[in-house]
Amino acid sequence: MLFPTIDFAIFFLLVFLGHWVLNHDRRAWSAFMIVASYVFYGWWDWRYVFLLAGVSAVSQLAAIMVARQDEQRRRMQVMAIGVAATIAPLLYFKYYGFVTVNAANTANALGINWVPPLIQVILPVGVSFYTFMAISYVVDVYRRDFEVSGWSDLFLYLSFFPHLVAGPIVRPDELIPQFEHRQDARHVDIVGAGWLILGGLFKKVVIANTLSAAIVDPVFGDPSRQSAVDALGGLIAYAVVIYCDFSGYTDIAIGVAKLLGFEFPQNFDRPYSARSIQEFWRRWHMTLSRWLRDYLYIPLGGNRKGPVRTYVNLMLTMVLGGLWHGAAWHFVVWGGLHGIYLAIGHWKTGMRATGRLAEPPSSAPVIVVQTVTTFALVCIGWAFFRADSVATALDLLGRILHGWSTPTELLTAQVLLWTAVGLATQFLPHAPAEWLRARLRGWQVVPLGVAAALFLFVLTTLGPRGVAPFIYFQF
Amino acid sequence: MTMERTRAAGGTEQEPRSPRRGMPAGRVFVVLLISFLLWGLLYAPELQRSAEAQPEGVRRSISLAILEPVVWLSDTIGLTGVTDGTAEALGRDPDAAVGGSVGDIPIDVDEIPTFSPPPSSVGPTPTASPAGPGAGQEDTAIRVPTNRNKLRIAVVGDSLAAGIGYFAERVFKPYATNVVKQGRISTGLSRPDYFNWPGQMEFIVERFRPDLTIVMIGENDWQALRNLAGDIETQEGGSAWEQAYEERVERFASIATADGGHVVWVGLPIERNMGRWAFRRTQNEIYRSVADRLPNVTFFDSWQEFADADGRYTAYYRDDGDLTLVRTDDGVHFNADGYTILMERVARHVTDEFDLKPRLYES
Repeated sequence: MLFPTIDFAIFFLLVFLGHWVLNHDRRAWSAFMIVASYVFYGWWDWRYVFLLAGVSAVSQLAAIMVARQDEQRRRMQVMAIGVAATIAPLLYFKYYGFVTVNAANTANALGINWVPPLIQVILPVGVSFYTFMAISYVVDVYRRDFEVSGWSDLFLYLSFFPHLVAGPIVRPDELIPQFEHRQDARHVDIVGAGWLILGGLFKKVVIANTLSAAIVDPVFGDPSRQSAVDALGGLIAYAVVIYCDFSGYTDIAIGVAKLLGFEFPQNFDRPYSARSIQEFWRRWHMTLSRWLRDYLYIPLGGNRKGPVRTYVNLMLTMVLGGLWHGAAWHFVVWGGLHGIYLAIGHWKTGMRATGRLAEPPSSAPVIVVQTVTTFALVCIGWAFFRADSVATALDLLGRILHGWSTPTELLTAQVLLWTAVGLATQFLPHAPAEWLRARLRGWQVVPLGVAAALFLFVLTTLGPRGVAPFIYFQF
Repeated sequence: MTMERTRAAGGTEQEPRSPRRGMPAGRVFVVLLISFLLWGLLYAPELQRSAEAQPEGVRRSISLAILEPVVWLSDTIGLTGVTDGTAEALGRDPDAAVGGSVGDIPIDVDEIPTFSPPPSSVGPTPTASPAGPGAGQEDTAIRVPTNRNKLRIAVVGDSLAAGIGYFAERVFKPYATNVVKQGRISTGLSRPDYFNWPGQMEFIVERFRPDLTIVMIGENDWQALRNLAGDIETQEGGSAWEQAYEERVERFASIATADGGHVVWVGLPIERNMGRWAFRRTQNEIYRSVADRLPNVTFFDSWQEFADADGRYTAYYRDDGDLTLVRTDDGVHFNADGYTILMERVARHVTDEFDLKPRLYES
C-alpha cells in the first residue's frame, strides 16, 4: 500500500480508530496492529506476508538461541548462524539474478558452456529494510544490548506498517519499549504529525514527481542527446528528487507513527548543507548510516586496526552499502565512489590531527566552497546511482563536459523553481516553521481540519496526475 | 524487558520531540475525518474522472458508486466551481482527459519538406475488411535523412512504448534521427474516453510528420471497447470485439501512415502470466493482420524474440552465449537492457523491411 493513496487514507483512519480504542489492552492492541501491518504489506502481494513472518520467526528463534548460550565463542557461532539464516532470503531475492548473469557470462567468456537455472526472482517490497532490522535485533541480543523480546513484540517491531517498506531503520531499543506501555491518548501531536505528513506529501507529490517528469527522466533516459546545461540541471534536479522522495516518505512515516503516539528516529538532517562527505553521511539516511557503522564497519575493525585497514573497511562498507541499494554494477560504483571520498576525508582528518595539514579557516567563503564541493561530489555519485548502467552515468557526466554547443530544452522556469525550492529546504532557518507550528497548536478541530484539506487539495492539484512509487521501495 | 530504554528516539528533521503538546486522540480523529472528507469533496470531480478511467471491475464500480453522491453534493453546494477555478489558477485544465494529451511537440514542422502520401492512406477513416484499403500495395522506402533534415521517428503507445522511447533515442543515431517519445502509461485503443490515441496520432502527424512511427500498444486493451463519451460499444471477448478492435488498429495505423509515414507495430511480448496468453496472441494476430494488409506498415514479433527455445516465458535473453536479465518483476515490462535489445531488434527489422539507408542504429 502506498502512502499517498486513498486506500491508505481509509486504512489509516480504521487503524487509528482501532489503535486508540484498544490502547488499554496491550494483547488485543498488539494482535490488532500486527494484523493491520500484515494487511498493509499484503496489499501489494499477499504471498510475501509469509516471507515477512518467516524472517520474523527466524530472527526470534536465533535471538532465543543466542540468549541461551553462556560461553562467548558459542554465543558468537549461534549469532552468526542466526544472522546468516535471517539474511539468506534477502540474498536470494535480491542477488540471484545478478549473480546468475555474471557467473554465466564469466563462464561463457572462459569457454565453459554452463546454463544456470534461469529463475526470475521477484524482489519483495521492503525486504532490505526489515531484514536489516531483524539482523540488528539478533546482534543486539548477542551483544547484550537488548534482551529477547516477546514474540508479538518482535513480530510487530519488524512489521509495524509506518516503517515497513522504506524505513527508517529503527533499532529494537528504540521501538520495542514503546510497545510495552500505553500511548498517551490525551496528547497526540496532531500539528507536528500533520506538518510532517503534509510536508512529506508536498516534497514527494509536487517537487519530486514534477522534477522527475520534467527533466530527470528525459536526461537520464538518453544523456547523449542532452545539452550540458540540461545534463547538469537534470543531475542537480535528481539530487533534489531523491532527497524529496526519500525524506518525504520518511517524514510521512514519522508523522503517521506520531499520530499513533510513537516516535521514530530522525533519518535526514539537511544533507546538502554538509561541508564534507563524512558530514553528508551523518545527515543522509541516518538510520542506514548508523546501521552500516554499528553492524558492519565497526565489526570489520573500524579504524582500530591501522590506516590501511581503515580505508579497506570504509571501502568495503560503502560498496556493500551500494549493493544493498541494488544488485547492479552502477550501485557498486556509487558505493565505491563514496568509499573513496570517505577514505580521503579520513586521511585528511588524520593529517590535520597530526598537524601535517592545516585546518581550513571557518570563514564564509570557505564554508561555501566546502558545501558546494561536497554537493558536487555527491551529485557525481548520484549520476551512477540513478543511471541504469555505468556507461549511461559516464555518458551523462561526459555531456556536462562536452555538450555546451547543444541547445537547452529542459531547464524550464518550473524546473528551476522546484529545484530551488528543494535546495532551499536545506538552508532555511527552523525558526519560522517553529513559529507557525506554535500558532497552529492554538487552533481548534474544525480550522485544523479545513486547513489540512485545503493544503491537501492544493498539493494534489499541483502535482502530476497518478501515483509514482517512492524510489526507495525498490531497495 | 529491555536492558536499555529508548534512547534518542523521536525527533525529526523539522522538529524535536515534544510529547506533551497535542490534543486528545478523539479530537484528532475528527480533524482527520474533516480533512479527508473535505478534501474528498473538493477533489471529487478529479477522483471521479480517475475512477472512470479504471478498467472494468469491482473496484471501479465501487469507486464510482461512492463518488457519485459526493460529486453531486460538491456540485450542489457549489464547490465544483470553486475547485475548477482553483485548478485553473494552479495551471491545470479541470476538464482535461484523465490520461492527458500529447501536448506541444517542440518541432517546427514548416522547415521540413512535405511528402506525398500513398493513395491508400488518405481520405476517410478506413474500416477493416478482409482485403483492406491498402491490400496489394507495395511498401515504399523511407527517405534518406540528411544532417539538416533528420529522420523523424515517433514512439507512441502505452507504458511499453514509454519504455522503448528512451531506448529508441539511444539506439538510433542522434546526428541522423530526431525521436519524439509519446508513450503514455495506462493507455490503449479501448478507452478513447481516457486517452484518445487516434486524435493524438492525428495531432502528432500534423505537428511532427513522422517518417517512422514505432507503435507498441495493447497491454491495457483487453476490456470493453468504449467510445469518446465513455459508453461501451463492444463488450470484451468474442469475434465482435476482435472485429471492432481490428478496426481501431487499422484506423490508428492509417492515420500514422496518412502523410507518407511508415509504421512498425511492435507486437506484445510474451508475459509471465500464462492466463493472458490467449488474448495477447489474439491481439498480436490482429496487429499482424493489419500490418500485412496496409502498405508501409510492418509487424515486429516481440513475443517470439523474448520467449525461450521452448516458447515459454523467460526473464533472460541469450545472445551469442551471453545472458542478460531483460524483464522486470511484473513479468510484463522490460528493464533497461531489455528495452535496449528490443529497440535494436526493431531497428534492424525496420532497416530490412523499409530498406532504411544508411544504417541508422547502433547495436
